[in-house]
Amino acid sequence: MSRDLNKLLNYSFLKISLIPLMLWFISTLVFILLRIAPGDPVDAILGSGANELSRELLRYKLGLNESLLTQYFSYINDIVHLNFGESLSTQEPVINIILKSLPASLELGIFSIIFAILIGFPLGYLGLKNKGKKGDYIVRIVGISSYAIPPFWGAILAQIIFSVNLRIFPIGGRFSIIHNQPHITGFLVLDSLLENNIIYLRESLYHLALPSLTLGFLLSGIFSRTLRINLDKTLKSDYVNAAICRGITRRKILLSHALPNALLPIVTISGLTIASLAGGALLFEVTFSWPGIALRLYEAISQRDYTVVQGIVIITSLLIVSLNLFVDIFIALLDPRIEY
Amino acid sequence: MQNNFLIATFIFIFSLTQYSCVPDNKTKRIIVASSGKIESLDPARANTLKSLQLLNSLGDTLYELNSEGELIPELASGMPIFSKDKLQIIINLRKNVLFHDGTVFNSNAIKFSFDRFKRIGTMNYILGNKIKSIETPSEYKIIINLHKPSSSVNGLLTSVYLTPISPTFYEGYSDKFLNDKFIGTGKYILKRFSNEIQIIDPNLNYWGDKPINEGISFIGYSNSTSLFGALKSKQIDVLLSNSIDDSQRNNLSLLSKKKEIKEGTSPATEISFISLRTNSYPLNNLNVRLAIAKSLNRRLLSNKVSYGMRQPSRSLVPPIYKKNNQELWPEYDPIKAKILLQKEGYCNGNILEFPLTYRSNVPADKLIALFWQDDIKNILNDCINIRLNGVESTTIYKNLNLGIYTAVILDWTGPYSDPEAYLTPLLSCSDLDGENCKKGESLYSGSFWGSNKVEKLFLESENLNGKERLAKLIELETIASESIPYIPIWISSQKAWSQNQVSKPIFNGAGIISMSDLEFINE
Repeated sequence: MSRDLNKLLNYSFLKISLIPLMLWFISTLVFILLRIAPGDPVDAILGSGANELSRELLRYKLGLNESLLTQYFSYINDIVHLNFGESLSTQEPVINIILKSLPASLELGIFSIIFAILIGFPLGYLGLKNKGKKGDYIVRIVGISSYAIPPFWGAILAQIIFSVNLRIFPIGGRFSIIHNQPHITGFLVLDSLLENNIIYLRESLYHLALPSLTLGFLLSGIFSRTLRINLDKTLKSDYVNAAICRGITRRKILLSHALPNALLPIVTISGLTIASLAGGALLFEVTFSWPGIALRLYEAISQRDYTVVQGIVIITSLLIVSLNLFVDIFIALLDPRIEY
Repeated sequence: MQNNFLIATFIFIFSLTQYSCVPDNKTKRIIVASSGKIESLDPARANTLKSLQLLNSLGDTLYELNSEGELIPELASGMPIFSKDKLQIIINLRKNVLFHDGTVFNSNAIKFSFDRFKRIGTMNYILGNKIKSIETPSEYKIIINLHKPSSSVNGLLTSVYLTPISPTFYEGYSDKFLNDKFIGTGKYILKRFSNEIQIIDPNLNYWGDKPINEGISFIGYSNSTSLFGALKSKQIDVLLSNSIDDSQRNNLSLLSKKKEIKEGTSPATEISFISLRTNSYPLNNLNVRLAIAKSLNRRLLSNKVSYGMRQPSRSLVPPIYKKNNQELWPEYDPIKAKILLQKEGYCNGNILEFPLTYRSNVPADKLIALFWQDDIKNILNDCINIRLNGVESTTIYKNLNLGIYTAVILDWTGPYSDPEAYLTPLLSCSDLDGENCKKGESLYSGSFWGSNKVEKLFLESENLNGKERLAKLIELETIASESIPYIPIWISSQKAWSQNQVSKPIFNGAGIISMSDLEFINE
C-alpha cells in the first residue's frame, strides 16, 4: 500500500470517527433550539380554543411534562439505538416520514445537478471559445443572471409560463393522480425502471421535468462560470503550451489534458451542491408542491413536531457529512497533488 | 442566419417533444384541489378543514346541519329525545347500515367511536364536561347520559370528530391513531391514501342516496399560486378556498361573474376578531376599549383586505347559528371615539400607545393591522398610535394566557355547529375576580374577561331549547358587548370554484361541500 493511500485512509478514518461527535453536537443543538423556540406541539395542534385541562392532558400524553433533562437523555438514548421515535402530531414513525420524503429531495437534487451540468458546461465552453466576443458576453450574462435570480421567483415564473400559460408541464406534485405511485426505493424514476413500466416512467419524468430543469438552470451559472475560469487558466498553463509545441491536436489537448484538470474544482462544487440539496430545496419544494424533506421539515417546524424535526436534521446532517467525505476522498483519488 | 434557423428548428422540435410527452390525464373522477396535505384520516386526530371535508365524504354523523342550520338525521332515525330531567338523550339509530368493511353499524359502534374519541382525540376538549357516558340498551338505540342539562349537545352530534368507525376494523387501534385508512359508513370508500393525494370511490352499498359521480380525487398543493394556476389551466376540476390568498379569491370570483367558472359559497362560519387584554393598562379602561372599538372601520378593512368578500360583522356568533344578523358590538364612529379618548385625557399631545399583535404567518391579519394603523393615522392621529407586532401563530397561542399581548388579531371556527361553540371559548370563565378572569377559557383567548352574569346565562341556556335558548345566548352576548373584551371584525365563508363542465359546489351548514352532488355536466 502506497504512502499516499495510507495518508488518505488515516484522513478518512479521522473524519469518520468525528461523525458521532458531530451528530451528538447537532442533535443537542436541535434539541435545545426547539425547546427554546416559543410554543410547543400542544399549541400547534390545539390552537387557541382549547382549555387548560385539555392542554395539560395532551402535554402529558406527548411526554412533554417530563423534565427537559429526562427528555434529553431519553432522546439521546433513542438515537444511539437508531430509534427516531414517532411524530408527536400523527404517531407515525419518524423514520417512515424520512424514508418517504428524502428520496423525493434526492431525486430532484440529482436531476437538477445533471441539468445544471448539461446546461452549464456547454455554456462555459462556448463562452471561452468566443472569449471577448458577443457570444461570451451573452453566456456571462446568462450565467450571472441564473444564480442571481431568487429561486422562489424563478420557480413561480417557470410555473406560470410552462404550466399555466403554455400548459406543457403539471403545476406541481410528484406523480400522476390517476396512476398508483410505484413503491420500491422511493426514487420514482428508478422505481418505474425497476417495475419496467413505461407509463410510470413517463409520469415521473413529466412531473420531475419542470422543477429539475428550473433548478438546474438556476444552478447552471455556477458551473458555466467555474468551467470557463478554470479551463481558461488551464489552457494557459505550461504543460498545455508544451503539448501544443509537440504538435498534439487542440481537440486532444482540450479533452485529454485541459478538461480533466479544469473539472477538479467542479467536482468539489458539485459535491457541495449535492450535499446542500440533500437537505432539500425548500422554496422549490413549496412552489412545486414537491413532497421532499425540506417541505416536511418546514411543516414539522410549524407544528413544533420535535421528534420529526430532530430526526430529519440528524439524518440530513449525516448525509451531508458523508457526501462531503466522499467528495474529499474522490478528489484525492483524482488528483495526486492533493495531500492530507 | 444559419444559426437563427438552427435555433428556431431546435425550439420547434423541443416544443413538439414536450407536447408529445404530456400524458393523457383524463379521468372519470372529479379532481378536487385544496391547500396543504392530509396527515391523518383518523377522526380522533384530524383537525384541518381538508381532512374534515374528506371524513365527511367517507363517514356519516348522527345528524347533519343543512344550509338553513336545521338538524337533519343521518345515522339517527329521528330527532334526539330529551328525558324530562334533560340529563338523558335517547337516539334511535338507522338500521341496515353497513360499514365499508361489511360489518353492521349499531349502537356499539357509536359507543366505541365516542369512547375512543374521548380517550385519545386531540380535540376531545369539545366534549367539555357535557357527556358522562353512552349506554346501549338495544342494538339500534343509544342513551347519552349528561353531567348536566345541555342543549348544545345537539350541535355536538353533528361533529365530524364523532363520525362512527367500525369497531372490528379499529380493534387494534382503540388507543392509537390510524392515519392512512378509514372505515366508516359514508357515501364513499377510501381507495388510495397518501399525504398529498387521496382517492375515494362511491360506496355501492350505501344506505341512502348514492353519489352521482364516479369518485373524487383529492390533491393538495402547498401554495396558493399553484392552486390558482391549476384551476386556471384546467388541471383540476374543483378548487376549495382554504388558505388561498384574498387577491386570488377575488380574481376567481370575477371569473365566476364572467361565467368562466362556477362559484359555491358556504354559510359564514369563521369569525375574525381582535382580543383585548382587559385586565391591564391601557385596556382595563372601558372607555378606552370602547374608543378603540369605535375606531375600527370594518367596511374599509373588508374592501381593502378582502375585496369585500368577507362580511363585516359586529357579532361573535355567525348569523346561521343565530337565525338573524343582529349586530350587538360597538359600531364604527370615529367622532365618538375621539370624544371618549379626550374624556380619558388622551389626544392633543397625549397619544395613546396601542400595541397590536398579529399572526405574521396569516397574510390577512397583517393587512388588517396595516390598514387599520393607516386609517387611525388619518382620522385619530393625535389620539392613538398603533404599534404593530408580528408574531408567528403558534407562539401567539402559547403566550395568550400569559397576558403578553395587549391586543391581538385572531380567528375562530366553532368545532361544532352551535352558538355555544363560539361563545364558550371566548367568554367562559371558571374563576372570577370582578370582571377579571383568573381561570378559564377567556384566558386562552387573551381577553381575561369574565362576568358572573354571563356564567349564569350560560347555565340557564343549557336548560332551554330553540328560541328561548337563543334569546338567552343573545342576552349573554349583549352583556359581553357592553364590556368589549373583543372587537369582532368580519365573518368569512368557505368558497369553492368549479370548471364549467362540473356542477356548482354546494356547502352544508357546517361549511362542508357535498362531494356526492358534484358531477360532470355538458354545457
